[in-house]
Amino acid sequence: MPEQSVLEATTVPTAPSGATKPRSRRVLGSGVIDSLVVAGPLVAIVIVAWAIAPNFMTGANISNILSNAALLAIVGFGMTLAITVRGIDLSVGSAQAFAACVTGISVNSLGVVPGILIGLLAGVVVGALNGMLVTLFAIPAFVATLATMTAMRGVALLTTDGTSVYISDPHFTQLATLSFGGVELSVVVAILLGIGTWFLVRHTTLGKHILAVGGRPQAAAESGIRVSRVLLVVYVLAGLMVGIAAVLLSSRLAVVNGTYGVGLELQVIAIAVLGGTSLAGGRANVVGTAIAALLLATVNSTLNLLNVPSYWQYVAVGLILLAALSVDGIRRMSKSRTGRASQAGGAA
Amino acid sequence: MANDNVVDVRGIVQTYPGVKALKGVDLKVDRGQVLGLVGENGAGKSTLIRILAGIESPVDGEVWVRGERVNFHTPTDAQRAGISVVSQEFRLVPELSVADNIFLCHEISAGGVVRARETRDRTQELLDLLELDVDPGRLVGTLSVADQQMVEIARALSREFDVLVMDEPTAALSAPEAQRLLGIVRKLASSGKAIIYVSHHLDEIFAVCDVITVFRDGNSVWNGSTSKLDESALVELMLGREPQAFVHTLCGQDYHDDDRPPRLRVRELSAPGLRRAVDIKVHPGEVLALAGLAGSGRMELMGALAGDVRAKSGAIEVDGVPVSVRSPFAARSAGIFMLSEDRKQEGIVPHLDVTENTMISKPWAARKGLAKWFTLSGLENSTFMTLRKRMRIRVPHGQVLIGSLSGGNQQKVLLARAVESQARVMLLNEPTRGVDVGAKVEIYELIESLAEQGAGVVVSSSDIPEVVAVANRCVVFHAGRPVGELAGDNITEDNITALALGQFKEVSHA
Ligand SMILES: Nc1ncnc2c1ncn2[C@@H]1O[C@H](COP(=O)(O)OP(=O)(O)OP(=O)(O)O)[C@@H](O)[C@H]1O
Ligand SMILES: [Mg+2]
Repeated sequence: MPEQSVLEATTVPTAPSGATKPRSRRVLGSGVIDSLVVAGPLVAIVIVAWAIAPNFMTGANISNILSNAALLAIVGFGMTLAITVRGIDLSVGSAQAFAACVTGISVNSLGVVPGILIGLLAGVVVGALNGMLVTLFAIPAFVATLATMTAMRGVALLTTDGTSVYISDPHFTQLATLSFGGVELSVVVAILLGIGTWFLVRHTTLGKHILAVGGRPQAAAESGIRVSRVLLVVYVLAGLMVGIAAVLLSSRLAVVNGTYGVGLELQVIAIAVLGGTSLAGGRANVVGTAIAALLLATVNSTLNLLNVPSYWQYVAVGLILLAALSVDGIRRMSKSRTGRASQAGGAA
Repeated sequence: MANDNVVDVRGIVQTYPGVKALKGVDLKVDRGQVLGLVGENGAGKSTLIRILAGIESPVDGEVWVRGERVNFHTPTDAQRAGISVVSQEFRLVPELSVADNIFLCHEISAGGVVRARETRDRTQELLDLLELDVDPGRLVGTLSVADQQMVEIARALSREFDVLVMDEPTAALSAPEAQRLLGIVRKLASSGKAIIYVSHHLDEIFAVCDVITVFRDGNSVWNGSTSKLDESALVELMLGREPQAFVHTLCGQDYHDDDRPPRLRVRELSAPGLRRAVDIKVHPGEVLALAGLAGSGRMELMGALAGDVRAKSGAIEVDGVPVSVRSPFAARSAGIFMLSEDRKQEGIVPHLDVTENTMISKPWAARKGLAKWFTLSGLENSTFMTLRKRMRIRVPHGQVLIGSLSGGNQQKVLLARAVESQARVMLLNEPTRGVDVGAKVEIYELIESLAEQGAGVVVSSSDIPEVVAVANRCVVFHAGRPVGELAGDNITEDNITALALGQFKEVSHA
């Protein structure tokens, strides 16, 4: 069957507009602009921190910030995808604790490689569970992942009997701090996953389907996209990211515990939204997520350096979340207004 | 099965809760043939098309494609069988680019990776074919309704197909765009494709269709060759009764010596999309029509009057009182109501029922007693039922969700909303878009009665016969500025067309 049947059948009328064609002036993608919006505050915060916090600009602190940001960003990439399909994953914190506990136990009993694989699998399993609740049982993501969040916290505590498990294998515990030209493994992994997620969203068919499902679910379904499958894949990917972060975290801390990751979901939602991923769905900004992760990690570390009590750190995350949400709201409002205005202007 | 029918639909039945949308319809189309599918709003045309597109499965009946019985469960099944569909409600994703929308779900890809270059080039070819001048990388959400319609068409053409089904493809297009599309349809047919063409524009049906199938009330009541019918016979088949003619009673009335202040007075208004400041005046009881091609500035003016976009400068007065329309709410409080051009996005509130959709713009001041604070369902219901009867809205009762109505009936509910808004200034954008011939007359009468009750009515329309039918006065726009005003007997299709195309001198004065 001829692919281009239409174009052959109807002799293309030599469009008079053809002369004025190649209008491929690629405007700066709005994604880039949105990322700059986050990069500004990041630079500002770094400058302020440098000025007021002692020891901010030390190698140890910077690398600490980077690896904290890396772990946030990795989970954040999964959250970005979930939010893009108009979903959310509240279970990331508990799932991370669960996957970390599983990793710790299996590294101790089965060795490094099986331990890592089982840890990743634990994340995937939670993701698949979320995905099935959302698709098969059509439970709203918020409620479904709230349930898994609670359940997985319990399971995480059960696997370690509520105690801490120390990981003795030095091969495993050195993994996270393995340095590639001064850059830690977790940072390298985060960068690679970031590029991968960005590529997924921008350049693959699955990415287009994710954006379509988030942007207009009905149009996506009526176009022939298998919406449930896309949702399932997204939650599994989110779970996989959680698993990866959990493995890196347990390697870094060399001890695992069922109470890890409490409140992680809010931090991660904050960075995804602050980065420019729209809560209304259909718009993902992976680069923004990475930058916002750096921002949050910088804020946390600065507050630590300044000996601000941890209660205030909760307040800070809350404020950042609030700021992120209002930025998202403002962005959406101005989109709907300028969208019209520029349309009217362009038509003239 | 040896026959020429590419598509053979037999006895299709489709029901929705409380509605039997299709009661056993038949339809056949051959290779190289254009079949016109016509019928009143709610006759079931789009329902059949959703079945052919694999979006819905019928309750009963058979679909045969190229002599084989088929059962579509998903849109992909229908596409595999060679059926490509332009749907009435666009299946576009605003957040994706034109190119990505066109190739959504049949991306040009290698190993799951989209080949952006090729996608862009193929998109450009399709856009050139349709002579649509937009960048393939532009987000669909930023396009006008007409351009979105074109993208939806490009999308259907981007697939391989034997059968092209088009559900009201010209509803949002300007006359020249529609003509171009008809040319493409003819060419596709002569290259052996089968085409099912749905439209309420009967001139298009007569221009392009070889055969016609008429649906009425979920039944296929007639089919045969186009040459056997003329327009009035077709209308009678569609409606099942003699069509009534619209008599324009207000025409010719002169408002110049009306000493009441005008309902709407616009002075030196400049807004994004307008190249020159605009002055207009609408008297109580007058219908002012704005004509002109898409992008000529009339829609931009309407948007500025309704608070959708902010005017850059100028003054607006309602009944002689200066008002500021900084937002749709402010416009509404000032007594200005606008019917949006974009029914689906800006008109209907899909998860509310038809009664709620009707009452939603009723001002607080016009509600009495308890109805100020509570929705009195009995009262609202009886108001809606009266309007339903008067406007012949086809719904079984007032609690049907508006989203489940046929396009034309949704439009009537929105006009009912205009009536209930009791606004003094009515801005009506494309009031009969997607409305059938019978209902058109009813809507014209309604517009006239709005005016008779004292409102100042502004109708912005791309349908020139419509402008001629309803206008007392007509301002024609071209390239961002008003270029001429016609009144009384000078409002003719020829004069409007000439002005709209920028030929100012050739206007003949009667
Ligand atoms: N999803 C739905 N749920 C309930 N009723 C529906 C649904 N879709 C359509 N209907 C009803 O089925 C009937 C046929 O609608 P359909 O959209 O097929 O009409 P149509 O011929 O395309 O009209 P129009 O010319 O206005 O587009 C209408 O009475 C409509 O209210
Ligand atoms: Mg229809």
